[in-house]
Amino acid sequence: MSVELAINSPVFLRYLLIVGGLLAFAGIALGSLHLAGKDVASPMRTYRGWLIMIPIVLGVLFLGREATIIGVTLLAAIGFREFARATGLYEDWWMSGIVYAAILALGVVSMVPDPRLGSPGWYGFFMAAPVFVIAFILLVPVVRNNASGELQKVALAILGFIYFGWMFMHLGLLANTGNAYGYLLFLVFAVEINDVAAYTFGRIFGKRKLRERISPNKTLAGSVGAIGVSMALPWLLWFSFPHFNPALLVLTGLIVGVGGQLGDLVISYIKRDIGIKDMGATIQGHGGILDRVDSMIFVAPIFFHMVRWFGGTG
Amino acid sequence: MIMDTWKYHPSPDIGTPVSERLRRFPRERGMLAYAIRSVAALMLRAWMRIYHRLRIEGRENLPARGSCVLVCNHTSHLDTLCLLSSVPLRSIHRCFPAAAADYFFSSLPRSAVSAVLINALPFDRKAKGAESLALCSALLKDEGNILILFPEGTRTTSGAMGRFRSGIGRLAAGRDIDILPCHLEGGMRAWPKGRLFPRPRNLRLRIGQAQNYRHLEPGQESVNAVCADLEERVAELGGGAA
Repeated sequence: MSVELAINSPVFLRYLLIVGGLLAFAGIALGSLHLAGKDVASPMRTYRGWLIMIPIVLGVLFLGREATIIGVTLLAAIGFREFARATGLYEDWWMSGIVYAAILALGVVSMVPDPRLGSPGWYGFFMAAPVFVIAFILLVPVVRNNASGELQKVALAILGFIYFGWMFMHLGLLANTGNAYGYLLFLVFAVEINDVAAYTFGRIFGKRKLRERISPNKTLAGSVGAIGVSMALPWLLWFSFPHFNPALLVLTGLIVGVGGQLGDLVISYIKRDIGIKDMGATIQGHGGILDRVDSMIFVAPIFFHMVRWFGGTG
Repeated sequence: MIMDTWKYHPSPDIGTPVSERLRRFPRERGMLAYAIRSVAALMLRAWMRIYHRLRIEGRENLPARGSCVLVCNHTSHLDTLCLLSSVPLRSIHRCFPAAAADYFFSSLPRSAVSAVLINALPFDRKAKGAESLALCSALLKDEGNILILFPEGTRTTSGAMGRFRSGIGRLAAGRDIDILPCHLEGGMRAWPKGRLFPRPRNLRLRIGQAQNYRHLEPGQESVNAVCADLEERVAELGGGAA
């Protein structure tokens, strides 16, 4: 990935056109609803949030591999920060400091070449990283010579690192593959479309609740509709990974459709158990960063390993 | 097996946008803000030493423990920066310059600088003066906090010291609070109001001995007496009448 490659990449250009077209279409639709006298204040805020986020994401991908990995690292750090602020782990500077340092280390490991193979990104170290980080986190109470309340902090720190740091940051590893634009653009696009589809199908057909004690707004119809859309997307966007066979397309659709919604539900029960509505108020109309990237957390690692095992790194 | 539910402590400012979070006081302690502020304080100290040849006299008057108020004449933005450079580095996160909310917290970038770098206490000098004073006295009840106040309320344009406003009197009269009069010389020449950047002029900060007004009866008379006394002491440190 680099600026030069992005300019000459037909995949990048196609996504630019698709996203630009969808944004223009949504803008016109919202505008005409507004003219028709409908109240569109809330979707308008969400739309404005998209108008800020999409150029940033595309811009970072355009800048290349380094910018993408730095961006993913930053997102993971901000995501963990929101988690820490929501649970109260942020008050423990040693625990959260170790997790921040570990996230930074993962960013470096994704960036540097493998010392033995010379290929970009030290895959082996990335995969082994949790062993060391968990050991460090577990040692904090020993160093502090304190037991009271430490189990909860240790558990939260480990979850925070593994889930919001390590799993999410597999996205950065995709930047090291030969087909980085196709994989990354497809994943970001498909995961967000999956979210929008779940919401839309739920609004139109939704009656039965999906998991009413976790997230009362999610419906079975929304979930099924979203999986349907996500199963169709890899076929429609086959140009993103022309070397995939139909079996891989089906698998990709399932990973995005099921994984995306699982990520959403996980954040929902975390928030519900803590007793807060949003993880933050960073993005206008979207809540915190975690409320936006939650669906990617399962999708990124599973898709990455699918590509690695079956798809070749392209 | 029955497990007790965990007790979470979400940050009290969760769900509020950043711009609002910066204006809140007392602020949540954040690791990032502490790191940035520590680095900024070191750079500030270097700049003050090298560019302004800042000399500080009477540093031994700062109390080793307990809270105190630094009261200073106000000629430029350098005043705050000099006073921030005069306190021990480990107190930097517990040192709060009272800053006009209508100026220093008027926009997001300004709030960010005021809250993160300066650690300012947003002081409402117009509508909610009493509320802001209550914030100040709550702050001084804790050990080891330092409040920086400019009782003139605004920067001087003439070079002459303005009258002290009653806030400091209301804060101190009849209460056990140590007040240190300070005087900064050279601020007016180095960075007069309206200039974008400071000029390389020498600065000298004098920190006077702690005053305590707990023996006074609370009341308007005592408030005026405290103001007049501190005004005189600050002017004296500057080596002249007010």
